[in-house]
Amino acid sequence: MDDVLVTGLGALSPLGAGVDAFWRGMHKADTAPTRVPDPLARMDHPLMYLVPEADVPDGPEEQDGLPLGRGSRFALAAAREAVADAGLTVVPGPGERPEAGGPDPRRVAVALSSGMGDTDLHEGWWTGEAPASGRWAPPFPLASVVGGWFGAQGVNTCVSNACAASGYALSVGADLIRSGEADVVIAGGAEAYSRVALACFNRLGAIDPERCRPFAVERRGTVFGEGAAVLVLESAAHARARGVRTVYGRLAGTGWSCDAYHATAPEPSGEQIERAMREALREAGAEAESGGESGSGGLGFVIPHGTGTALNDVVESRVLDALTPGTPLYSVKALIGHTGGAAGAFAALAAGLVLHHRTLPPNVPVGEPDPECAVPLPSGSAPMTGAYGLVNAYAFGGNNISLVFGEAAA
Amino acid sequence: MNSEPVVGLVVTGIGTVDADGFDFRTALGRHGYKYLPAASQYFLAAAKRALAQAGPDALEAVGPEQRGAAVGTNSAAVALHHRMDRTVTETGAGDLSPVTAPYFSINLFGSRLATEHDLKGFNLTLTSPRVAGLEALQTGQRALASGRARRLLAGATEEALPEGEPGAGLSEAGAVALVLEPEPAARSRGAAALGRVGVRSFFLPPKAAASAEGAEHAAALLRDALDALGHRPDRPLAVTAVLDGSPVGAAMAAALDEKALGGRALGGRALVGQPERVPAGAGALEPVARVAAALGAPEGHPHAVVTAAAEGNAAVCLITPGARLDAPAGADASAVAEAPAIPEAPAGADASAGSEQPMSGRRRGSDR
Repeated sequence: MDDVLVTGLGALSPLGAGVDAFWRGMHKADTAPTRVPDPLARMDHPLMYLVPEADVPDGPEEQDGLPLGRGSRFALAAAREAVADAGLTVVPGPGERPEAGGPDPRRVAVALSSGMGDTDLHEGWWTGEAPASGRWAPPFPLASVVGGWFGAQGVNTCVSNACAASGYALSVGADLIRSGEADVVIAGGAEAYSRVALACFNRLGAIDPERCRPFAVERRGTVFGEGAAVLVLESAAHARARGVRTVYGRLAGTGWSCDAYHATAPEPSGEQIERAMREALREAGAEAESGGESGSGGLGFVIPHGTGTALNDVVESRVLDALTPGTPLYSVKALIGHTGGAAGAFAALAAGLVLHHRTLPPNVPVGEPDPECAVPLPSGSAPMTGAYGLVNAYAFGGNNISLVFGEAAA
Repeated sequence: MNSEPVVGLVVTGIGTVDADGFDFRTALGRHGYKYLPAASQYFLAAAKRALAQAGPDALEAVGPEQRGAAVGTNSAAVALHHRMDRTVTETGAGDLSPVTAPYFSINLFGSRLATEHDLKGFNLTLTSPRVAGLEALQTGQRALASGRARRLLAGATEEALPEGEPGAGLSEAGAVALVLEPEPAARSRGAAALGRVGVRSFFLPPKAAASAEGAEHAAALLRDALDALGHRPDRPLAVTAVLDGSPVGAAMAAALDEKALGGRALGGRALVGQPERVPAGAGALEPVARVAAALGAPEGHPHAVVTAAAEGNAAVCLITPGARLDAPAGADASAVAEAPAIPEAPAGADASAGSEQPMSGRRRGSDR
């Protein structure tokens, strides 16, 4: 089976625009949420990790007549960077001269996910802003917008499995390559501030009033973040044929499951998240008899789902302690908050960078660890000795996914 | 993966729900559903009807981890979000209902299905403009082909857009659900195969659609899709096109029009009459409803449901109705070659079971 390689990365995050800003921010490990600049955000904790105002794309306002929300603009910004990083060129438009050696646009797919899409656009209309036209504006056009910009003609899909959405987008993208439906997939996720989403999490009592503190004893919920992370997935054969510059890693294994238990709460035994992890590790060839093998050649790190909510962190910790004992964790959410539908893609982006640089950055200090969460969260930077990284993403509705990324072949 | 890859899927149950006259008490039961948003109720009711037709053991023949679900929707949450936002901006988040608050998340509309039927393989929510329902069939079947499960519940659900929302006049409201399982499994339990469905989706960039070569672009993509679905060019094909008036919709319509393309529509494939044109709505429901209707057509005539959105998303579903299926739809050529021979469904298999059978596999009877 052809390997699925990561050949391009793009990011727009609370750490700023670009992958370099993201990597620098991971090492600086110093962030904090801010109050959302929305006078209509009538809720107890209107806090988020926001994309810095200076880095928010100032457009486009529309594409091919479709008005774009913040989520679509975020997705476009990250996709532009990822595509350029992969050395791909946008498909020429009608009447433009095609570039020699470009990918077959029919075999370029887009799998970009979001939990709320461009809901911010609609919220503006509901509070007095006038729509530019009477055209129906589907709330989840992010993949379409990126596909239209690039000129991709393959599968174009938005999986909206809430906070696991972009993990599923990446996995579906890998399936498209492995099934022979695509050579290249622009995959990832984007999430932007939505008043409705933040209000509902406030109503559910799930917002930490201070910061996102996964696995900390004083954690009191999560704090949302926003941004977009995009990865270019590519078949190894296609990448070889066009002589790619950089391979960040391989998407080596995936595992799906569903708790089928509760709308919002994780299933306490962790049976289904364990099944997803085991499946991803097995497919990647990264499992040991008693679980994920740590150290050289084995599992080097885990980027957990860990949101800072009470039960999620305990359940995930117990399974990780049993399955991947001693393997260090790196918490993306402690750094940029819970980016919802983009969280899986941000975790994958971080995994790709860790594998590429072979360094595990320091975790953001979040206070005293919870003794019920027996997982190592190193506070200092360290060399990454393993060959694989495990990424988890879970969601409302009990939607679980695990992804295993492997180092690029020598 | 969970199991060996599954090929040769057939539809054994179809459930449809129209929002007009829908009463959750009648369709689902008096208790436990009152506070579910409408689109969630619709999809649960459609699934209940589909499972009733498929038979009580359609899912239970395999374990919970071998059961998957996929639902497509564009507009299920918009009206609810509108109401929620009004509450937040007028009186504050504290006045939101804690029961409906989780439904800010679009994937919740399909999640109750998983808890009621113990679907632990996967539960996908797809939201691509207009094609999301067909994508639910496509992505769900691809997941089964990858070994992620062995049974699939898939379909679409929508709720009407709020008044004043752009596109509200084109609102869709209701749901369709299909049960899919391997043909040998259906045969062994005496269930009737209603037909096969196969989906290929693709993207017609709006700029390309609006160009002078737009119809040619669309025709080429449609031909590729039908080839991938294994449709033989010499086999008469009925076509239903669910399209809007956008440049993408117009290009797709022209691609289906023999006159517009000088006899080169779909590469000279034989069409059964003129394509049926159906105005597209503001959602992903109508294309799946047309698939369900085509499955009820006389045995043997393949039928394609084609749809596209102004944003560029497009899909074609090839339906081969009936139990005698000599031309599998939807599997790639390699998978088709490995599919078992398709025998006739056993006589007496009840394809018209009533919709009031008890819900199978239900674990909980009330909201939690």
